[in-house]
Amino acid sequence: MPGRSHSFLAQVLIVPILLLAGCRSSLTDRPPGYLVVGIESYPLQLDPRYATDANSVRVGNLIYNSLLRADERSQLRPELAETWRMVDDRTYLFDIRKGIKFHNGQPLTAADVKFTYESILDPNNRSPKRGLLRPLQSLEQTGTFQLRFRLTAPHAPFVEQFTLGIVPADSASVATSTQPPLGSGPFMLQAVESGEKVTLKVNSDYWEGKSSLPGLVFKNVPDAIVRVLEFKKGGIDFMQNDLEPDVLPWLRRSTDAAIDAYQGTTFQYIGINLTHPILKHAKVRQALAHAIDRDRMIRHLLKDTATAANSLLSPLNWAYAASAQRWSYDPARAKQLLDEAGFPDPDGDGPLPRFRLSFKTTNIDLRRRIAEALKEQLQQVGIELEIRSYEWGTFFSDVKKGNFHLYSLAWVGVMDPDIFFQIFHSDSAPPNGDNRGRYSNPQIDRLLEQGRMTTDTATRKLIYRRVQEILAEDLPYVPLWWWKNVIVKKPSIQNFTPYPDGDLISLKEASFR
Amino acid sequence: MTHYLHQRLLLLVPTLFGALTLVFVLIHLIPGDPVEVMLGETATAADKEELRRNLGFDQPLSAQYGSFLIKLAAGDLGRSLYEQASVAEIIRARLPATLQLALSAMIAAILISFPLAVLAAVRRNSWVDRLALLLSLLGLSMPNFWLGPLLMIVFSIQLGWAPVSGRGGLSHLFLPALTLALGMAAIVIRILRASLLQVMHEDYVQTARAKGLSEQRVWLKHTLRNALVSTLTIMSLQFGNLLAGSLITETIFSWPGIGRLTVQAIQTRDYPLVQGCVLVIAISYVLVNFFTDLLYKLVDPRVAYDK
Repeated sequence: MPGRSHSFLAQVLIVPILLLAGCRSSLTDRPPGYLVVGIESYPLQLDPRYATDANSVRVGNLIYNSLLRADERSQLRPELAETWRMVDDRTYLFDIRKGIKFHNGQPLTAADVKFTYESILDPNNRSPKRGLLRPLQSLEQTGTFQLRFRLTAPHAPFVEQFTLGIVPADSASVATSTQPPLGSGPFMLQAVESGEKVTLKVNSDYWEGKSSLPGLVFKNVPDAIVRVLEFKKGGIDFMQNDLEPDVLPWLRRSTDAAIDAYQGTTFQYIGINLTHPILKHAKVRQALAHAIDRDRMIRHLLKDTATAANSLLSPLNWAYAASAQRWSYDPARAKQLLDEAGFPDPDGDGPLPRFRLSFKTTNIDLRRRIAEALKEQLQQVGIELEIRSYEWGTFFSDVKKGNFHLYSLAWVGVMDPDIFFQIFHSDSAPPNGDNRGRYSNPQIDRLLEQGRMTTDTATRKLIYRRVQEILAEDLPYVPLWWWKNVIVKKPSIQNFTPYPDGDLISLKEASFR
Repeated sequence: MTHYLHQRLLLLVPTLFGALTLVFVLIHLIPGDPVEVMLGETATAADKEELRRNLGFDQPLSAQYGSFLIKLAAGDLGRSLYEQASVAEIIRARLPATLQLALSAMIAAILISFPLAVLAAVRRNSWVDRLALLLSLLGLSMPNFWLGPLLMIVFSIQLGWAPVSGRGGLSHLFLPALTLALGMAAIVIRILRASLLQVMHEDYVQTARAKGLSEQRVWLKHTLRNALVSTLTIMSLQFGNLLAGSLITETIFSWPGIGRLTVQAIQTRDYPLVQGCVLVIAISYVLVNFFTDLLYKLVDPRVAYDK
């Protein structure tokens, strides 16, 4: 009897594990020839009408086509559009390429484009992109392959909205469907394993030509160190960004990885609450900018994975102004500015600070180390910083509410300079925009309104140059750096072109040697 | 006994109600707004208000909770605010991974800890005892976020015995289960060894020896069995924790379990998903406690529940 009960116990314990393991198809992490991309977070929503997180957008760009597409120099180029033109300053006319098919073979026409935009505009569909289409007055299908967008008023940045992925007409909304809609892009969805990975297979009938890769696997490995170990072990072929800068030298030493860093557009800054009685003084903000040794932080903390910034727009952006003031590291000048602002050091080189400020950041390790370095540097000029690190939701909620003195965040994927309107126009204070520091400057307001209404690129360039020069003086943000895009890949991967915003669309041209 | 079991099952209802209420209140109290995340930076205040109204977030908390309970009674956990699936579907996809890891870790912990604890107690103060205590101390001192990558480097990178991360066949289980098991085994070794040392001096053990029973039978039937009661309590608590999902181990090993899902749902303020996860976790704890009570009776027939 005891023998029987023991064997029963063993069965009770072991059989469920085997059954649960049996629920898994196999050990096929990588179908033959597929390229595995390691990602730090799982794409939440692939449907382009809803996708907002970076990985959903990047994976989605490989599944869906859009009317226009930004190229590797962030210039918009026709994709589904055969031709497009501005009829007047608020009307755009598109001719769609003929012969393009969705992944089920159904032809893509202007009706699908119209449906995609209208389904985003339908409030019942709760698309996060509805607000972006607010300037759209009407969308008219003028032929099977032609349609006209008409805006309520001239709105230059609207062209960015032509990069929305197109889905077939009658695709269900996210509230009622369980699968993302079909696309017409170079890859099609093969499998989704919730929280684990997304597998794409090549679209053999792709209108631009079939990719050399039979497919792609986007494998979610949240821990940066483990991602690196997976790469070393061969479980991942390609990684971009979100790597601990400290591991890059180790990767160079102990693997045959091809590691490259390219100028990116992600802008890291210190946000300032301009309603704060101390921080409302421009000289205090200028002192902060002079007190920070960006180059040292980039060299030691970030291992040269960033470049010191002078503007929200990166040098890759057509509207970037090199003339915007750069704040060099000059602690003596910082002290002088603080004295002039009326905040003298009470005890010279003694322990008492001129004043105390809090600095909010997330609880990510690297962010905390950056905060510690800032604290140390500001202490040198007599400013005491109290670091408060929070989990993302709490941190972001405080930032939105204006519940901060100083905080650090980054702007990701900036393309059109109209982003300045959203961040620095006095009408854009939350909840209407992202002017979280409550910056208000009538001159900036006027320029941003002009920039939005002007469709001539050369004129816009002049307007935004002035905007950047004023902001660099006023410092509602203290610019820190632009992050580089760090790409780690197997040396056998060829023909991959890095994009400034981290887009992975050029994986369609990549192949293994 | 039956009466007691019925009572325990009935207790499930207030326990779950308490857990759900507490979490519902807490998740709504902490800062952060799912509507902000859902609609993004470009939405107007009016758009956000409209969505809040659509989702019922403009209602008082009590009304929102009432509506949640009514749906729950009909078996509807709602839809995730972000993922393209119902809460039940998402949990159903993740639960097997958590169950698999929890059971494997538990079995591995038993296989490691029981022989070591018994040997340590039998050969008290010998090198085996010292080794067991040293291993236990090491297991307790090593946090999983350090132990996990260490095991990866040794067993996966150097020896090539197991994949680095992810969920797949049984080989994928080896490292995450071992990481969790070593921590659990460390506690079980200490508790079981102490219980064995206490029980081995009891009169009934001496009597069993005096009756001429073999040493093996004395240990298995009289000593180990009596020492198991306190160990079972600790193990059931730990197993409950494992079923709630081990966030750190799941993150390190890219294991798609309930722990990571719960944290992700909290971070994005996905209220329906948080509630669903908490429901599953609370049920797991209650069931583990329930079965532990049954095991007490199995291990020690003197345990009486009905009076």
